[in-house]
Amino acid sequence: MNEAVVQEARARIGIDVGGTFTDFVLFDPAAARLLRHKQPSTPEDPSRAVAEGLAALLEAAGLGPQAVGLLMHGTTIGLNAVIQRRGARIALLVTEGFRDVLEIGRSRMPSSLNFHARKEEPLVPRARVVEIAARFDASGRPTRWPDAAELDRAAAALRALAPEAVALMLINGYAAPEAEAELAGALASRLPGLPVSSAAALWPEIREYERSLVACMNAGIQPLMLRYFDRLRERLAGQGIRAPVFVTASNGGSLSLATARARPVETLLSGPASGVMAATRLARQAGVPRIITFDMGGTSSDIAIAADGEPEFATRTEIGGLPLVLPVVAVSAIGAGGGSVLRVDAQGVLKVGPESAGADPGPVAYGRGGTRPTVTDAYLVTGLIDPARFLGGRLALDSAAAHAALREIAEGLGLTGPDAAERAAWGALRVATAGMVTEMFKTLASRGLDPAQFALLPFGGAGPTHANLLAEEAGLATVLVPAGAATFCAFGAVSADLRRDYARSLRRRLDAEGAALLAARLAALEEEARGWLAGEGGLAQDATLRRAADMRYAGQAYELRVPLDGVAPEPAALAEAFHAVHEQLYGFRDRTATVEVGTARLAIIGQVAPVPLPELPAATQPLPPAATRAVFLGEGWVRAAVHDRASLRAGHVIAGPAIIEQADTTTPILPGWRAVVDGLGNLGLERAAA
Amino acid sequence: MRLDPVMLEILGNKLTAATEEMGLTLQRVGRTLYVKETADFCCALAGLDGRFFAYPRSIGVSGFVGLDCLPAIAAVGELAPGDVILTNDPYRSRGLATHLPDLHVIAPCFHEGRIVAYAWAFLHCSDVGGRVPSSISPTNSEIFQEGLQIPPLRLVRGGAIVPEVELLFRANSRTPDANMGDIRAMLAALEVGRARIARIIAQHGAEALLAAQQDLPDYAERRARAVLAALPEGEFRFVDYLDSDVVSDLPVRLAVALRLAGGGIEIDFTGTDPQLAAAMNIPSVGQVHPWLTLRVMALVATRDPGVPLNAGLQRPIRMIAPEGTVVNPLPPAAVGVRHAACVRVNDLLNGALGLAAPEVMTAANSGMIVPVVVAEPDGQGGRNVQVVEPMTGGTGARRGADGTDGRDPSISNLANNPVETVEAELALEVERYALRADSAGPGEWRGGCGLELVFRIGAEGSLVLARGMERALFRPWGTAGGGPGAAAEFTVLREGALDETLRRVDMLELRAGDRIRLRTAGAGGYGEPFRRDPAAVLHDLRQGLVSPEAAERDYGVVLREGVPDLEADLEATAARRARGGATAPWGSAREAWEAVFTGAAMARLSAALAALPLARRQPVRRALYAAVLAHLPADFPAAPAPAVALEAARRALATQLDHIAPEGG
Repeated sequence: MNEAVVQEARARIGIDVGGTFTDFVLFDPAAARLLRHKQPSTPEDPSRAVAEGLAALLEAAGLGPQAVGLLMHGTTIGLNAVIQRRGARIALLVTEGFRDVLEIGRSRMPSSLNFHARKEEPLVPRARVVEIAARFDASGRPTRWPDAAELDRAAAALRALAPEAVALMLINGYAAPEAEAELAGALASRLPGLPVSSAAALWPEIREYERSLVACMNAGIQPLMLRYFDRLRERLAGQGIRAPVFVTASNGGSLSLATARARPVETLLSGPASGVMAATRLARQAGVPRIITFDMGGTSSDIAIAADGEPEFATRTEIGGLPLVLPVVAVSAIGAGGGSVLRVDAQGVLKVGPESAGADPGPVAYGRGGTRPTVTDAYLVTGLIDPARFLGGRLALDSAAAHAALREIAEGLGLTGPDAAERAAWGALRVATAGMVTEMFKTLASRGLDPAQFALLPFGGAGPTHANLLAEEAGLATVLVPAGAATFCAFGAVSADLRRDYARSLRRRLDAEGAALLAARLAALEEEARGWLAGEGGLAQDATLRRAADMRYAGQAYELRVPLDGVAPEPAALAEAFHAVHEQLYGFRDRTATVEVGTARLAIIGQVAPVPLPELPAATQPLPPAATRAVFLGEGWVRAAVHDRASLRAGHVIAGPAIIEQADTTTPILPGWRAVVDGLGNLGLERAAA
Repeated sequence: MRLDPVMLEILGNKLTAATEEMGLTLQRVGRTLYVKETADFCCALAGLDGRFFAYPRSIGVSGFVGLDCLPAIAAVGELAPGDVILTNDPYRSRGLATHLPDLHVIAPCFHEGRIVAYAWAFLHCSDVGGRVPSSISPTNSEIFQEGLQIPPLRLVRGGAIVPEVELLFRANSRTPDANMGDIRAMLAALEVGRARIARIIAQHGAEALLAAQQDLPDYAERRARAVLAALPEGEFRFVDYLDSDVVSDLPVRLAVALRLAGGGIEIDFTGTDPQLAAAMNIPSVGQVHPWLTLRVMALVATRDPGVPLNAGLQRPIRMIAPEGTVVNPLPPAAVGVRHAACVRVNDLLNGALGLAAPEVMTAANSGMIVPVVVAEPDGQGGRNVQVVEPMTGGTGARRGADGTDGRDPSISNLANNPVETVEAELALEVERYALRADSAGPGEWRGGCGLELVFRIGAEGSLVLARGMERALFRPWGTAGGGPGAAAEFTVLREGALDETLRRVDMLELRAGDRIRLRTAGAGGYGEPFRRDPAAVLHDLRQGLVSPEAAERDYGVVLREGVPDLEADLEATAARRARGGATAPWGSAREAWEAVFTGAAMARLSAALAALPLARRQPVRRALYAAVLAHLPADFPAAPAPAVALEAARRALATQLDHIAPEGG
């Protein structure tokens, strides 16, 4: 299945393609070193920045193309295609009577009050949805099935639509995925050259709308992904790089290119997932049990929750207004990003976002035509970032322009005096921070978690810059700023394990028969999973399985995920496992109610050789005396010591107010806080003892 | 403003988030389906005036932002820390609760010995007793049939639930454990609210919190007035109907006059029918009540989507809702399905606002919510009861945009049920769940399509309930030259029998193999259909939402023959369109009805009924209609009546009116 076997001793490179920058992290096991690189992205053909960045990185590392053993690639091609509805032209084949499965959706609208709000654009217009006389009952028995003539008719109707790919969804197909896959095959043989994505074969979980979307997303992004990776491989071959390419996935793991080409839908949310996985591993190494990750990008900020070395997963997320039910690392947007626009409304109230200047034109200070001030401009005006050192000096910032834009905001707020622009900028940062914290608290409240139990782990270019402000407002005790925070998603990619998730719905009562069926389903999923891993090129050293089932009390509207590792496959033990989870979450158990099993779930994780973080030598000298700069923090100007992160050694302690500068990000330390440098190069921010 | 513009924004965000945290806590801890799946609950923070200054944007029922907690608080008297008020009583809480299954709780938030705010939560619980399981039936005629009435009282005293109250409450419910679970979830939410208030006071001070209670509603009010001030001044009148009052075939007439001036709006329901002997009455106690103002709030939120949700939104509104009418019933009127009338009140306000703001408002939404429920015998003497789908239609067209097909969030933005989970629970088979072609009201911009649901019964002796069937007679109207949406249809297709179409459905018993087909109404169109861009008509043709026949009949678009793809014959289209064709906005049934029951006659009747003692109004009204309808065919106004019959009916009406409301007397 896989084209090449991974060479362990050679270099591994993680790549994360973002909107503004393409990030690289190279792990060279021979020299036990990590190299990081940022390359401006080339959105018109992302593979160009990848190829150019690789060349620059290898040169910096002093390595030739043959030294590369593995590329771990994260991509947002699929995500952007879904959000912008720019996927391939596809057709959808559905059970007769269900042509509107995408039009009706879950029938909710984005707002109940705003009657000009539009419903989401369907992935496939009604005109390209074809019906076929085929369906199953809830037990998986076909109650209508097409003969050859009906298949011919459906194939002809599909062909007439001139699609690039076809998605197939039959009602109750989750109960008979093999039969649906067979039909997809019969169809494919009538439609030469057209890939057919069977919803049930991809993801046999109950709920026809959500499963249709899995198939449609897969079909819609497949041609784009194939084209992209073909072009990339051509470019790599031109550079002499013959290493196998793996692709990071939304579940925080990675897949061989062959798997990713067949199931591209699994890669949709890989970027944020990689960063969260890296944060989770780092926290485990640093001995921090519970973290909230904080990734601040251009348009928004995201958080995720991880405890005891495991991030939280979600099986219902939203992409471009559409639900996605595949398991993904749970990431929640909490508001402003660096490009969020500041404005004063008609009533004189200061607003931050939701509009974003993005990367283009970007903040006023970028000098690319942006006229509306952003959060990044507020950092600049308050002195939190240094215009000369932004991105290692590669992008000179226009302080005067940012200052003038903030002065206009100040006027709108009725602020006057010499520091009016600074006060407006500080006000904007307070509004942005309060907004983020309120969203963070809501995310925690929905899970019943206490923020005081968590450390903040920021990454991304602006994450470290805003982390202390966020922690202060949220009342968090500690912040852990990783050494390579700005290229953390690429670091997550280079250190990713192989992983795939599997599901199969049963919808059965949990009696002896139901328990046996659950065990059989899990065994079948395990066989499938092990077969997959064996075909992935020998990258994995070891395999771990995680089993779970969604269960509920009969008649309940919601199911709970019950981990089943170590649980005997007998009705009583399974029910007890469910009762215990239910009690823990909801405070009661109902012994009299019938327990039902909804969906069997299994994850396989193939461990890849870990990427050890280089150790930072212990400090032998006290911190060298630092330069200072004036920073405007609320009440007025303070002098902050400015340190170069590269000059820090393990054990150094820096008292706030201070600024830690590095090539790709800036970490302010507020008054009342201090930073302690640990042996992995992390900055541990904590409240200074009074 | 008492707060500076930065602090106002920060406190606004924090307080809104606090209410959302309360809601998330309630949802997490809550136990029943209403809470977990349909999210029929809400949490908010009220100021010392009992009005909400912070209300969630993203979780819970958005429509209740205008409720008033003060009468319930006042009824209980002085509160101590650790007290929580409970009520579900619409009349004694003065419209805080609007039907008995909605349990409302209120907790005072103390700071240094004085109350600084109130935390509030409500949820729709499973059952509070009464005549039928779940406590709600459209055919209840008195609130006493609808369950236990709980006047505002202390549920919790000094942090502990009062045992006698729990005892009484449990004894009057079919689902006591689930109810207490839901109450505990609400108490947990109130606790979160109190903790967040305490945190905000610790960060910003109690004075800032008290200032925010005034500034935030002031801020919302200013933004709301800015929206309303952009509308032309004047009086705008509108009338709409419910097909029936559930217990008979008599329509229910709702009338409104909106008076707009200087950013303020007066809503006058004078002319609306007397309260009903069915459960559709809206207990507003005559106040500016959310159920009577929803479309006005929607207008504000549509024109200014970022407007803060709080009590300030209601301040520009003045209300006239005459006592003893559907929109302000007196006890003991039943109120269990008040939302059924609210759907039409929403259409009514939409229509009246449309006269003032035709470029903003829409034609009528489909205006119906029918939860289709099937109860299959479970083989052990009980029944397995499931909602097949909550059926709605689409939304009305507006200038510049077609309506939304198959979705209508204007009263409740509920999720539907996956067909596969329905079939996993029930023996029935869903044969079709789709948009209904040719149902959209035609227009330059067309209305949203209705839906069609067809299912085959799998278990002998299954019961089917389809309450809320509406718009089968009086169709969702078009506006600005647009036509009405198709009427709703409910059809029973029994094996070996003729198909039977029903206008009203309560409960049916069916055999295995029988089929049900429900088509919901399409929504109204906007603008003259002959002005619709032929390309848009062709698009709908390709999507299969408009048939070639309808394209020619409704839109004057003639297709070219003998070409493989759909293509308009532009010359023939222009010729067809030049011949013209008037589109009436109401549909024939409403036209026929109003040809007899004219606006002038109805105004006279309404005034005469209002002068009668409450108990006499419905009997007199019924007698009048019976006398008039006796002159008309049985299926009037669904089918046309001969001119002589119409004339006779009009004369009978005049006689009746002279009898009960003598001119000058």
